[in-house]
Amino acid sequence: MTTNDLVDETYAALSANKVRSGLTILGIVIGIASVIALTAIGQGAQNTISNSINSLGSNLLEVMPGAARTFGFGASGGRGSAKSLTPSDEIAIAGVSNVSLVSGEYAARYQIAVAGANTNTTVDGVNGSYATIRNITMAQGSFLNDVESQSLQKVAVIGSTVATDLWGPNATSTNLVGDKIRINNLLFTVIGLMSTKGGSGFGSQDNEVFIPLGTALQYFAGEGNQYLSTIDIQAASQQSMTQVQNDVTALLLSRHGISDPTKADFSILNQQDLVSAASSVTSTFTTLLAAVAGISLIVGGIGIMNMMLTNVTERMREIGLRKAIGATRADINTQFLAEAVALTFIGGTIGVALGWGASYLVTATGVVTAQVTSQSVLLAFGVSAAIGIVFGWYPARRAAALNPIDALRYE
Amino acid sequence: MIELSDITKTYGEGQEAYTALKGISFTIREGEFVSIMGPSGSGKSTLMHIIGCLDTPSSGTYVLEDRDVSTMTDDELAEVRKDKIGFVFQAFNLLPRTTVLRNVMLPLVYANVPEEERERRARAALVSAGLSEDHFSHLSNQLSGGQIQRVAIARALVNDPALILADEPTGNLDSKTSLVVLGTLQKLNRAHGRTIVLITHEPDIAEHADRLIRLRDGRVVADEKNPTPRDATQETKLYDGTDESVTNKLS
Repeated sequence: MTTNDLVDETYAALSANKVRSGLTILGIVIGIASVIALTAIGQGAQNTISNSINSLGSNLLEVMPGAARTFGFGASGGRGSAKSLTPSDEIAIAGVSNVSLVSGEYAARYQIAVAGANTNTTVDGVNGSYATIRNITMAQGSFLNDVESQSLQKVAVIGSTVATDLWGPNATSTNLVGDKIRINNLLFTVIGLMSTKGGSGFGSQDNEVFIPLGTALQYFAGEGNQYLSTIDIQAASQQSMTQVQNDVTALLLSRHGISDPTKADFSILNQQDLVSAASSVTSTFTTLLAAVAGISLIVGGIGIMNMMLTNVTERMREIGLRKAIGATRADINTQFLAEAVALTFIGGTIGVALGWGASYLVTATGVVTAQVTSQSVLLAFGVSAAIGIVFGWYPARRAAALNPIDALRYE
Repeated sequence: MIELSDITKTYGEGQEAYTALKGISFTIREGEFVSIMGPSGSGKSTLMHIIGCLDTPSSGTYVLEDRDVSTMTDDELAEVRKDKIGFVFQAFNLLPRTTVLRNVMLPLVYANVPEEERERRARAALVSAGLSEDHFSHLSNQLSGGQIQRVAIARALVNDPALILADEPTGNLDSKTSLVVLGTLQKLNRAHGRTIVLITHEPDIAEHADRLIRLRDGRVVADEKNPTPRDATQETKLYDGTDESVTNKLS
């Protein structure tokens, strides 16, 4: 029996009962389509999350103060509340190898006002390098520079949300550079408007006002309170991030005179850790979705087995005849297995197309950008062929094992 | 060509055991037309299965064309059936909703005959079986009983087997159509030298063969030459002209 004959026979057998074949295929179509669509959605969610984490900056490390504690059993002020990071720590960190950029931050919430409108938002004192570290792009004007920081100039760069809050919904399309705003009743000049970045986790940079770090420490932190709320570090490369994190930890421990690392008065947030944590969550989620879809695929496979068993019974005399005219067990086995695999393969092809279409629809709704990966398509084909073999095996074996005499006599 | 010596066949074991064949021995030479007849329960179906290599005997030897087939495995038997034996069944057993040509070509599929040769051989077999050319591409369920059985005969012929084994080939046909089918078998034997074994329980069907083997209770009770075989072609002519409608159906 040649491959060509096998294809002919399979086509003839499946087209002999189109409705039954069609319904059986439908079971596989639904299974495969849901696997494709759900993994695409899962993959899309994963990409969305890692993209938004990466938009925070590249190779980013954040040093944050530890919890403020009073001696003994006093109340903890919560992580980040301690005043342990100083501008001189920032300068020292800049000397660590593979650190390409450093920016200290002094952040606090203040009332921002212009004539006729006001808002309350985070005012963040930063260095000029902050723009590079945090991937900030400008819509108007330019970002802060270190000269402004050293000369304590009262200039500000504002996020798009702040702009619309202060000047109305069309503010971003008008020129805001040179306008004056009041921060905590001090007059600042707007020198730049940042491009809209979109939400990135809990905080949005769109709803922030940036001023020079020196200015912030001078006018808002006040005398004897020269502490930073965060130090942002950009490592030279992704590979060097762990080394930078270790070196900075060691440096700060020695600078703060702490010998036991578990009692550190600061903590370092590694962007890479964040990405891998988030993607491990989403990939678990994707696996879960795929598993649920996989169940429907198994149900489809049982449909195949059911149809093939019915086929074997209905075509008992045909099997008897084929055996009488010289078909071997292997011939019969191959023929029935080929029918089952053909059903799942057709189902798999339609299912992949349908799943792809469903992913496009989901993307079109804008909730998540679903992404169909070539692995999931290959996997779907592999799984559908495997289902054909697994669920076609038993019926095919039954057909092959039939005694030709009994099969010919079957009524 | 066929040598059966002391063939027995027992079904079941112990108390339940039932012996269908109790020592059958005979020889069939190439080119013979033999009828095996007997009432139901005589063991003729069991014997047909053994001669047709669908089953193996419990004891005794069966030599088909110098090969001992009595101890072969299932797949070896399938090989022998493919090359040596053409079956004609009472129930026809054509594939439904399949064309005449495809039905006849089916054995060639398993025999690995090249595709371009299959149709040529199938057409030749159909012509030998006496089916007219305009029916070749009809579906099997569009044919009359006589035509169907001639397609089945063509299918038995197409592999050029050593032996054609016809199991009650006229059992589902009326008398007139039966004669046409018997005529076809006689012609294949006389004109083409085919070896034919016809299994039947009807004496007037069996009498078309040149030799009659009678079975009763699993034994051969008679094995004799038929000095005056009936001629199906002559008998068909007696019908001709008396019932035109039947004649038309047969053509």
